[in-house]
This record gives sequence, C-alpha cells and structure tokens, in this order.
Amino acid sequence: MNTVLPRIAARNLLRQKKRTILLAGAIAFGIMIVTLINGFAGSFIQNVSENFAYLLGGHVFVSGSEYTASGRRISVIRDDSVIMQALADSGQKWASLQKTSETTATLIFEGKSIRQNLTGIDLTHSTMLKERLALTSGSWDNLAWPNAIILSQSVAKKLNVLPGDTVVAQFQTVTGQNNVGEFRVAAITVDSSFVGSIMTYVQLDYLNSLSGLGKGEYMSLGIMLDKLDRSGTFANSLYTSMKGMGLQLFDRSTKQDSGSTTPFQSMIREQNSETWTGTKYRVFTVDDVLAQAKQIVVALDTASVAILIVLFAIVMIGISNSFRMAMYERIREIGTMRAVGVQRNEIRSMFLYEALFLALAGAVAGIILALIVMGILSFITFDPQSPVFLILKRGHLSFYLPPLQALGNILIIAVLTLVAVYAPANAAAKMPPAEALRTVK
Amino acid sequence: MPSFSAKENKHPSRNIVFLLAIAFSLAAGVISASAQAKPEPKVLLKEVDNLSDFTGKDFSAVFTIVTQKPGEKDSVTQARVFRRDQKEQFLILILLPEVNKGQGYLREDDNVWFYDPTSRKFSHSSVKENLQNTKAKNSDFTLSSFAEDYTVASMNEGMVGKFPVWVLDLRANTNEVSYDRVVLYIRKDPTMLLKREDYSVNGRLMRTTAYPKYVEIEGKLLSSQILILDEINKGEKSQITMAEQSVTPLPDKVFTKAFLEQVSR
Repeated sequence: MNTVLPRIAARNLLRQKKRTILLAGAIAFGIMIVTLINGFAGSFIQNVSENFAYLLGGHVFVSGSEYTASGRRISVIRDDSVIMQALADSGQKWASLQKTSETTATLIFEGKSIRQNLTGIDLTHSTMLKERLALTSGSWDNLAWPNAIILSQSVAKKLNVLPGDTVVAQFQTVTGQNNVGEFRVAAITVDSSFVGSIMTYVQLDYLNSLSGLGKGEYMSLGIMLDKLDRSGTFANSLYTSMKGMGLQLFDRSTKQDSGSTTPFQSMIREQNSETWTGTKYRVFTVDDVLAQAKQIVVALDTASVAILIVLFAIVMIGISNSFRMAMYERIREIGTMRAVGVQRNEIRSMFLYEALFLALAGAVAGIILALIVMGILSFITFDPQSPVFLILKRGHLSFYLPPLQALGNILIIAVLTLVAVYAPANAAAKMPPAEALRTVK
Repeated sequence: MPSFSAKENKHPSRNIVFLLAIAFSLAAGVISASAQAKPEPKVLLKEVDNLSDFTGKDFSAVFTIVTQKPGEKDSVTQARVFRRDQKEQFLILILLPEVNKGQGYLREDDNVWFYDPTSRKFSHSSVKENLQNTKAKNSDFTLSSFAEDYTVASMNEGMVGKFPVWVLDLRANTNEVSYDRVVLYIRKDPTMLLKREDYSVNGRLMRTTAYPKYVEIEGKLLSSQILILDEINKGEKSQITMAEQSVTPLPDKVFTKAFLEQVSR
C-alpha cells in the first residue's frame, strides 16, 4: 500500500497548524452538539419509562373491562386466579406484583380542597412504596390504619394537614354515583417529581368499598420486572398464555390507525368500538403507554441530523474555501510534484486524504468533547420538583450514545468533507505542471 | 206537632238509621278528602318531572351561575342552554368567563361531549359532571327523571318556610344515578319542588338545593332561581338564575357538533 500520499497529506495538515485547528475545531463543535443531542435522546426514553414504571407501579400491566347491565363500561378485575395461573404458565420471571384501583377525587380539609388521583394499593404489605418513597413525617406503622392515606409534601402543604388529620374525599363510584370517604393521613412523602407530587396512595380495600368494588377485586395488575427492556417479551408471553387459557383479550398487535398515536390508544379505540360480554383483558407495557415519548426521541434524532447538515453546510463552505486557498498557496509545489512524475489522480487523492484526516480528527475530538460535557452535566443535581425530573435518572441528566449512531455521524462528516474538498482537489489535479511552475505568488 | 212527635216516637229505628247514614257519609267524605290530599307518591314524582318537561317543544334560556368559595373571589359562569326534551338532547354553550367562552356540552344519543375551542377537540363528559367550576351539575339543566330513576321509600308531611310540603325520601333504582338517595320537599299546592337534598352512597348529605323562585312559561312552572349548597365543603355554594327563557322552535342543527364548533369560533 502506498503510504506516501497519506503521509504528505498529514504533513500538509501539520504545516498549517492554525488553519487545521480552526477547521477541525469547527467540525468538532458540530459533532459535539449533535452527539450531545443523540446522547440525550438515547437515555430519554429509558429514563422516562423507568420513572413512569415506578409511578404506575409496574413495567407490564393487565387490566379488565366489563359492561354493567345498563351498558356502562367499567374497569375491574373480579377474579385474578386465571391471570395468576397464566403468569405462572408464561414461564417468565418478575420482581413484584401490584394490585391497584384508581379514582380521581377532591380532597377536602377545613375549607381547602385539591383534585387528586387516588391510587389504592395494599399499603400494609407493599414493599415498593417503602423502597421508593421517603417520608418527611408520619410513620410506616400508620399504614396499618384501614383508611390510611399517603400524601406528597406539596399536597399536604396545600391542604395544611399533618399526620393523624382526617381528610374528606369526594369522588364517583365505578358506576358514576357520588360518594364520600374519610381518610386519615398516615404519612407525608418527599415529592419525587412533579408527577410524583400528584400521586396519593390509599388502602386498596377501603377505596374499593367506597368505589363499589368488592373485596379482592381491583382495576389493574402491575408487574414489576428486573429490567425494563424485558417488558415487551414478557407482555407477549403473558398475552399468549392468557389467550391460551381462553380469556378474552384486546389485540396487542392492533395496527395503529391514523388517529391513534400509541399502541395503548389503539387498544382503547378498539375497546370503544366494540361490545362484549364478561370481562375482556388488556395487556400492555409502560412503553406502549409512552410510545409518544418515543416519537420525541425520533424527533430529537431527526433534529440532530438536520442540525448536523445545516451546521456542516456552513463548515463545508469554509473548508472548501480553505482548501482552494491551500491549493493556490501550494501551486508551485503541485507543479513540481507533477513535473517529477506525480499523476493527476495522486494530487487529487493527496487533497482528499488531507480532508479525510481533518474530518476524522475533528469528529473524534468532537465526540471526546461531547463525552466530557456529558460527564460534567451528569454531575448536576436537579430539583426533585422540577418538571424535567421525569426525564432524569435519580435526579441527574444521563446520556447514552449508541455506538453505531456515533460511527454514522463520523461517516456523514467524512463524506461531506470529501464532497466539499473535491472541487479544489480536482482543480489542483487538472492544473498543467508548466503553468503551475510559472505561477508567481 | 204532637202528631209529628208521636210519629217520630212511633219509628225510632228509622231515625237511628238516618243519623247513621249521615254519619257514614260524612266520614266517607272526610276519608275521601284525605285520600285526595295525599297523592300517590309516584304520581307526585311524575308531576315534578312534568314541571320541567318541554316534550314537543324546544326550550332555551341563559343561566348565570355565581359561585362562592371561602377565601376566593366570587366566580361568574354564564351559559346558554338549548333543550329538545323529545329526543333528550341538550347543548350548553359557555358564555362566561371569557377564558372559557365557546366551550360547550352536547348530548347526542347517550353520549355527552365536551368541546374545547382551544384544542378544537371533543372529549367524553357526563351529565353527572359539574358544569365548569360551579356546584351545578350538567343534569341540573336537563329534564329531570325522578319517577324513572327512584323509588319512594317514605312520604311525609312537613314545612319549608311557611309552605306545607310533601317530603319524599327516594332511593335509586340503579347504581348509575348521581345520588343514591335524594330527599325532595314538594310544595302541596301548587305542586312545585322547593328543596332537594342529595346523599352519597354511604348516606352522607352532599348537596342541598333550594328553588325559591319560579316563573310560568307555557303553563309550566319553571325554577328561575336555584341555590346549591355544598354540604361537604362547607361555605361553597352556587346561585343559578335563569333569564331569556323561550320555547321558540330551534333548528335541528343546534344539537350537532358542527353547530358547537361553528358558534365557538
């Protein structure tokens, strides 16, 4: 392999250090920005999904729907023994199960009121809450109260309640009747996020009795897995297992029509468009619910490519002009090389090698710079109540750069630089040696 | 005279029969009058329902709702209501507050749609939902159906202010009506609803509604002022006043999504 031309190209780059540093710096800056966007987008969906999985109490969910005698559709799982059997038969492993019921209620205390989403779970035996929530006041022992309620700090502040106080909740039963319940504040938690701050936990049995559900019944089963990326496979095998047991299920593979933006919405649309008898189940993952968040990732990646192209269109004009200037500066050198037998294509290659090295050096420097910036940014701790908390990992920004994406960016830069330099390289190659030698700078 | 007296004395059993006959007829009259005064509970409920029933006609009016909450400034909500009871249709168009102007509720078949002109989208709502941020429910502006939805558990006499009333304790026939128990205070003459108490499923008084003023329209008595007290969140209340009531026929297009979209622009 002829290494002379690459060596001359490298030497030429080193001869003009200032210009090389400026051009490579411009490339590095562009690559750094794009890499940061890609890195952020890479971890965005992971963080959002994990945070939502924690808030919703599972990575995979099973919920049931049935019609009342008058045709009203309600959400309920009355007998979960078949689901438990299907779970066992699916051959998959899970970390924990969470049975929940939900309602939206107005909490009232001494003239102050606030609209809250009440999540009913078995507070007495739930390990998830103890692992995830930090108490500011109250005690875990209070969760044994049959009408216990756990409020976030911000809600407790708005209502001006303390542990031991009794708040009144006004809400509708599953069939739409108005009802009232009294809940005793067992504990107040640190707000884990702006979404976390609107989560309020109550005893499942008490909520069910007020909502018109029977003992042992609930609305949704949350299944927490050891890893988020297993949720799709897990849901598919559970779906197959439940189908095999003869349960009625909403199709998991429903094609998204133009109106629905997530697989979950497709399932809801399917539910709205048909009627059935008995209970029909829905198996879905946190990713199905958050498919719209994935579209944000796609949008971010598309934006990064657009930025890459726009930024480099500007940089490439600079590189093209610089190489044209370099060609005129080296015109007698080119003439000499041509006079001693260097061929046209070799002159062209020499310039292109120079451009390639410049692109590679700039791209590698850009990625290294991006990694340094990512490292610095990930040290910043964000306020738990800030709206960005949901996209953070334990309160910090996190980044994940897929290696293939980084390589793709380097490739794009290399190609664009070669395209930009091709015209001056071609002009240098086509220059008659005698004319080049005669040229006086 | 003596002969007359002698005649009477001659037939004492006839006099007794005559007196008994008078006594029985008087007693029967009293019983009959009493039976007329205590109407059949179901019939009375139907009468109350009929008070606001404009079947065969269209009804429209503007309702102004002033809501008071402790520590907050009074809020004013104004809505124009269009009703076609024949088809159980209604359209509620929000006129005030300015920020919510153009929002609307439309009942189409069994569905109640809420329209938001900002997003230009319809979403599911219910007659059981509160109208905006007030204490009034969408169902307060529609045709009542006590006779169909409830069974009378007891009927007693009582007083509301200086008016004698029938106090009807109603229990829901299904678990899908807004309130499981309702107590109605119905004025005896003329029949008109003066007060209503709504109870939660577990028997707690949630809402008291008073109907102090009525207007007559097309021979029907319609409440022109309604006071709603929130019994759970004490101190919160709404006052509804009705104006511009009319039974002029409305075009069919009024009860369509397209109309709601058009008037909201």
